[in-house]
Amino acid sequence: MTFLPTELTHHIVIQYLAIAGALLLVAGLALAICRWVLRRPLPGVEQTYRSWWIMLALAMVFVAPGRTTVIVGVTLLSLACFGEFARATGLYRDWWLSGGVWLGILVVAVSSWVSDPRLGTPGWYGLFSVLPAYATAFLLAIPVLRGKSRGQLQRVCLSIVGFLYFGWMLGHLGFLANAEGAQGYLLFLLMAVVLTDVAGFTCGKLLSRVFGRRPLAPEISPNKTWAGFLGALAVALTLPWLLSFSFPPCFGTGPKILLGLIVGLGGQLGDLTISFIKRDLGIKDMGSAIPGHGGILDRCDSLVYVTPLFFHLVRWYCGLGG
Amino acid sequence: MNRDKARKRDQKMTTPSPKSWKYRPYPGYDLPLQERLSSFQRRPEFLVFVLRILSAIVLRFWLRFYHRFRVEGRENLPRKGSFILVANHASHLDVLCLLSAMPLRRLHQTYPAGAADYFFSSLPRSLAAATFANALPFDRKKDSAASLEACQQVLAKPGSVLALFPEGTRAPDGKMGRFRSGIGRLAAGQEFPVVPCYLEGAGRAWPKGRRLPLPGRLLLRIGQPQHFKGTPPSRQGARDIAGDLQGAVADLAETRMGK
Repeated sequence: MTFLPTELTHHIVIQYLAIAGALLLVAGLALAICRWVLRRPLPGVEQTYRSWWIMLALAMVFVAPGRTTVIVGVTLLSLACFGEFARATGLYRDWWLSGGVWLGILVVAVSSWVSDPRLGTPGWYGLFSVLPAYATAFLLAIPVLRGKSRGQLQRVCLSIVGFLYFGWMLGHLGFLANAEGAQGYLLFLLMAVVLTDVAGFTCGKLLSRVFGRRPLAPEISPNKTWAGFLGALAVALTLPWLLSFSFPPCFGTGPKILLGLIVGLGGQLGDLTISFIKRDLGIKDMGSAIPGHGGILDRCDSLVYVTPLFFHLVRWYCGLGG
Repeated sequence: MNRDKARKRDQKMTTPSPKSWKYRPYPGYDLPLQERLSSFQRRPEFLVFVLRILSAIVLRFWLRFYHRFRVEGRENLPRKGSFILVANHASHLDVLCLLSAMPLRRLHQTYPAGAADYFFSSLPRSLAAATFANALPFDRKKDSAASLEACQQVLAKPGSVLALFPEGTRAPDGKMGRFRSGIGRLAAGQEFPVVPCYLEGAGRAWPKGRRLPLPGRLLLRIGQPQHFKGTPPSRQGARDIAGDLQGAVADLAETRMGK
């Protein structure tokens, strides 16, 4: 069993810390100019900005030390995301089913952390990959064992989606920590998702003024525009080259293009996924855990969607190693 | 009779559910944590549920073996429906003893009213008070009318238990203070009973100002439930109820052990 990271790639951590810090400093400078030179302070944006620093610090605290902290961090994030989902949908009232999902998320964490009993490599991929079947069977059995039927289909469906989406799909981020050179992958993914989000927002605001406002999905999220979508896609497609130091040599041109598409399209699909869930529930934000951003799910919406796609890209082209 | 039951069951089983899903989000799901914790509509989630049960079990062992805690008159607790527990207040142990006297399955419906200005003054305190004690923030200073109103709504949910200390603060010298009339305003003209309790030994075991409790013996006496359905909800009525309950608790205090 390996407790230490398979490869201590600290120079990558430092590079990312420098890049993120520099970007945030530039943004801070712009905000300072708005506040003290132009005398038009933007208190909402300043709150959002402060939260970014905290999120950067948290990401570094969990990613830098190695695989165990990554798995712990991802598990906490999964539980927090599921908690918000359960509160927003009303699933939290059912302690049995939400307890079942909690148990499932903990099993995801354990299967990412232990070694494969046959191969001895870190992470038991066999168990990890069959968990959806067992979790579905387990969650469906809960109303049967309790002898309940009224309203149970809705609750079971919600808990299965909760487990699959926030427990298992996001759990791939924790399992990815077992790959060789994992810190590069993880930090790239976090950075790429964030920058794509920001690019979408900025391009949406700026380009819509030039080309006119064309809504992307007016039924789901009225603020998203085609300009933002294309801008985000363009940024996502260039990032694998700009940050190519994160990847081992097996990550050639093909995978890089695919990676750009996955982050560019998947990130925005993830964003819209949480949006349509919120519209259906009739709520605005999933929570208020991150000042200036809304809930944790409002921030991690793209990450959840992109994570398993990215994981399998890495697994296909480079293998998890070890 | 049996056939009737079977027909009813068949009917119930074949009546379709409403056509669309009904979501009932957590009341105040998008409020900051501190505000959510100090809401009277707070509801336990799975994690809170687990932590509260575990801490209650540990607490029961602690009280049993460290304080030799005993309960007299447990049969006086109503089995069903909402009710109010009132007790004398000498120490932080009081609320822990009242919670430990309740059956575990009603733990999540038992709400002790805690001073909003003390237990809900910071996030860590609110977290502990809401998670482990299931406390509700009672505003004893500025707007007690609003807090009483909110308590009324809590009691309207069937099976809720509200634990109150009508003295409003811990008695410094072990002598019971005057019961304030808020309890009267809450109970006058209402269906639910009020159960008076007297806790003996808490003031000695954990006096105000001491950091940790001493191993003193604790005894909780639970009295007969009192009904105030006929009392008019007037100022005088409220004062009378407070006086009656103070008398009932004082009587329990004078009961000799084992009588």
